[in-house]
Amino acid sequence: MSSISELYDVSWEEMRDKLRKWREENYRNSEQIVDVGEELINEHASKLGDDIWIIYEQVMIAALDCSRDDLAWSCLQELKRQFPDSHRVKRLAGMRLEALERYEDANKLYDSILQDDPTNTAARKRKISILRAQGKSSEAIRELNEYLEQFVGDQEAWHELSELYINEHDYAKAAFCLEELMMTNPHNHLYCEQYAEVKYTQGGLENLELARKYFAQALKLNNRNMRALFGLYMSASHIAASPKVSAKVKKDNVKYAAWATSQISRAYQMAGRGKKENKCSVKAVEEMLESMQITMS
Amino acid sequence: MAGPELLLDSSIRLWVVLPIVFITFFVGILRHYVTQLIHNDKKVDLQQVSDSQVLLRSRILRENGKYLPKQSFAMRKHYFNNPDTGFFKKVKRKVIPKNPMTDPSTLTDMMKGNLTNVLPMILIGGWINWAFSGFVTTKVPFPLTLRFKPMLQRGIELISLDASWVSSASWYFLNVFGLRSMYTLILGQDNAADQSRIMQDQMTGAAMAMPPDPNKAFKSEWEALEIVEHKWALENVEEELMCQDLNFRGLFI
Repeated sequence: MSSISELYDVSWEEMRDKLRKWREENYRNSEQIVDVGEELINEHASKLGDDIWIIYEQVMIAALDCSRDDLAWSCLQELKRQFPDSHRVKRLAGMRLEALERYEDANKLYDSILQDDPTNTAARKRKISILRAQGKSSEAIRELNEYLEQFVGDQEAWHELSELYINEHDYAKAAFCLEELMMTNPHNHLYCEQYAEVKYTQGGLENLELARKYFAQALKLNNRNMRALFGLYMSASHIAASPKVSAKVKKDNVKYAAWATSQISRAYQMAGRGKKENKCSVKAVEEMLESMQITMS
Repeated sequence: MAGPELLLDSSIRLWVVLPIVFITFFVGILRHYVTQLIHNDKKVDLQQVSDSQVLLRSRILRENGKYLPKQSFAMRKHYFNNPDTGFFKKVKRKVIPKNPMTDPSTLTDMMKGNLTNVLPMILIGGWINWAFSGFVTTKVPFPLTLRFKPMLQRGIELISLDASWVSSASWYFLNVFGLRSMYTLILGQDNAADQSRIMQDQMTGAAMAMPPDPNKAFKSEWEALEIVEHKWALENVEEELMCQDLNFRGLFI
C-alpha cells in the first residue's frame, strides 16, 4: 500500500497546505483528510511544528466520520497531553463519545463544560446534535430555539433549524429561519433559492409569487443556478394556470415561463455540444416542458 | 535672549543619550511581556454577548431589510419596536456601576496595572536621576520659559542657563512618551507598553471593562429602526433578469 506522497507525487508541504485549504473552506471529504492527515502525522510530525495540533483536531473529526476509532483515540490522546484543561479538547472527547453512541456520557461532559463557561456555544450545539442523532426532533427544535434566543447571530444554527422545520413540514417557520439567513447574507444565491422552494411548497397565490421573485433573485445573483431556473419556470406556469388571476398577471407569467423555457433549452443545447446523446436529451427536455405547459385559454 | 550655544562633549551623546533611549525601549518591551503573563482573561458575561448580538441583528435588519418580503420586515420591526411588547421597549438591563474600591477584581487589576507601569517608571527615573545627574544632556529645539527650569534641569544649579537645556531625567521622560509609536510599530496596536494610554484610563476613573450602557444602546437602536422604511429590492427583479440571456459560462466543463 503506497503512501499518498508516492501516489500523487506531492511533498509534505503541499499536503499540509491542502489540509489547510480544506479546513478553511469547511470541506467534509473525510476519507481524503484521514489519508493525507494520517500520513502527515506519522511521517512528518516533527517538521510541522505548532501546526500539528490543529491538524490533529481536523484529522480526529474526519476519523470519527470514517469510523476510524483507533486514529481518533490517538489524536485525542496527543491533544489531551498537550492541552490538559482545554474546553476545545473536551468537546472533541465528547464528539468521540457521541460517535460511540454513548450519549449519556457525552451529555455529562458537555454539561461540565457549560458549568464552567456558560457562553460556550460549541458545547450547546453538540448537545442539540445529540438530540437530533437520537431522533428527538421536537426536543431538538425546542433546544435550538432557546439557543437562538440567546445567540441570535449564529447562522449555522439558523440553517440547522430551518432544516429541522422542513423535516417537520412546518414551512412557515422554516421560511422565517431562511429569511434570517437571507438578511445576513444578501448575496448568497443558495439561501434565496431555498427560501423560494419553501415558499413554493407552501403554495397559495401569494407564496407562488414570492417564490417566483426569489427564484429570479437567485438567478440574478448567479446565472448558472439551474434549479432556480426550473423553479422560476414552475412557479410562473403555476401562477399562469391558476383560475383566480387577472389577465395581465397571466400574460406576464406566461412571458416569464416562455423566457425560462428558452433559457433551459439553450442551456441543454450548450451542454450537449459535440456529444451525440445531445439530441435525445434536448428533445427530452422539450417534451417535458411541453407536458408541463398549461394551455392558454 | 538667545544664550550662547553650548558645545557638549560628544561622549555625552554616546554614553548618555543613546543608553537612555535603549533602556527606555527595552524596559517598555519587557513591561509588555510581563503584563501579558500576569494578565487574566476577562470573563465574558452571557447577557452582554446576547445583547451585542441582538443589536447586531437589528442593525442588519435596517441595512438589509430590503431583501426581505414586506411582511417579514414588518414582523421583525414590530418585534423590536412595538410600543408595548417590543424588545427595545420592554427590556431594561440593570446596570450596576462598578465601584472600583469595593469590587475585588478591579482592585487586583488596578494593583497589577500599578505594579507593571508606575513602579518601573519611578525606579528607572530615579536611577537615571542619580546616575546621570549633574550635567546637561540635550537641548530641546524650542525656547522655554524660566518656569520650566526647576522641572527640567534637576541637578544643574545654574541660574543663567537657558531653560531649553535639559537634564537626563527629562530626556528619559521624553523618551517614555516618544517611543509610544515605536511600540505600536513593533508590538502591534493595543500593546501593554503604552503608558500614556493607561494613564489616560486612570484619569477618566471609570471602570475600564464596562461596555457602553446597554439601555442607551437599545434606545439609539430603537430610534434608528423607527425611521427605516421598507423599499423592496425585488420589485422589478424579473424585468431586470430577463432583459438579457443568462450567462452560462463555466457551467459546463
